[in-house]
Amino acid sequence: MLLSGTAMAETTVEVGRNTGLRTWKWSHQGVSLRLVQRLPDQTRAYVMAKGFPRDAADALATSCFFGSMFRNDGSLPMDFDLRQWKVVHNGQESGMKVREIWKQQFQERKDIPAPARIGLNWSLMPTVQHFEPGDYNWGMTVYGLPPGETFDLHLKILLDGKPLETVIPGLQCAPEVVEKPSS
Amino acid sequence: MKRMFYILLLSLLLQGQVGATGRGLTLLEDKPAAPNFNLKDVDGNSYRFSDLKGRVVIVNFWATWCPPCRAEMPSMQRAWEQLREEGVMMLAVDVGEDEDAIFEFTASYPVEFPILLDTDSSVSESWKVRGLPTTFVVDQWGRKVYRAVGGREWDTPQLLKKIRELKEVP
Repeated sequence: MLLSGTAMAETTVEVGRNTGLRTWKWSHQGVSLRLVQRLPDQTRAYVMAKGFPRDAADALATSCFFGSMFRNDGSLPMDFDLRQWKVVHNGQESGMKVREIWKQQFQERKDIPAPARIGLNWSLMPTVQHFEPGDYNWGMTVYGLPPGETFDLHLKILLDGKPLETVIPGLQCAPEVVEKPSS
Repeated sequence: MKRMFYILLLSLLLQGQVGATGRGLTLLEDKPAAPNFNLKDVDGNSYRFSDLKGRVVIVNFWATWCPPCRAEMPSMQRAWEQLREEGVMMLAVDVGEDEDAIFEFTASYPVEFPILLDTDSSVSESWKVRGLPTTFVVDQWGRKVYRAVGGREWDTPQLLKKIRELKEVP
């Protein structure tokens, strides 16, 4: 964990007792980000139920979705812009697959109903957001990597207008099938 | 696979009960004008926002698939039971879904305030909503005065006090 600034931050990793899925939690001065692995099948089923055809659902499902909970339980206002975050995988840097990218990717597809596209858009974490103390959002975040791949997430927020950059190392996209923990 | 799916769903719902509540209302210093809209509710009745001028209005943007939105609905209903007799209006604007999704939802979460359908999400965008749920409290002059991003316990005395105080502004 690298952190610009002087205050301490913390990252923890937990494995779901029933699911075997991993959750990373980063926190700093009351701001926290929880990233929960989503199985490709979870995402596939979710978007197909919204009306996405199989090929588009497969493309989404194998793009590394995380259930994400971003909260500001601190005392300072906070801003983020996911377009400034970096995914570092095998030494290569790329951006996250934010709402606008999916919107552009699917806008020409006549076989994807508008409610499906709208539903996906609002299910994703807002690309840009401002949280006053007490605010939070849940939404999916997407990293554009195949199932099972490991990467570092370089994230940046503004806390009371001051930039704070950090790295969550060793995030792993959920594999196609997760091994359940032995009890 | 089906069993695994239900376990995952259950764990997400349980997570929804923990940490699905924020706190407080943010005062919007510049009090921007709330954009007008004309939306239908699930029974086909039309609601024009400008017709509500003169009343304090709570406008909640939500969707049935959103766990924090679902989590705050019972407290919104309890707040509505206290506030409706006092002239405060509450509207829940569903983003991007149709009547069927709402009917399925209200079978498990019965609420009595109007649920409006913003099927193309244009109203949500004009109100500058970025994530769900987001709620605004609008004053008698149609200005957005408070905002809450994320769910709240709407029937807490602190929140109800802020809403009631708005009615008393001359």
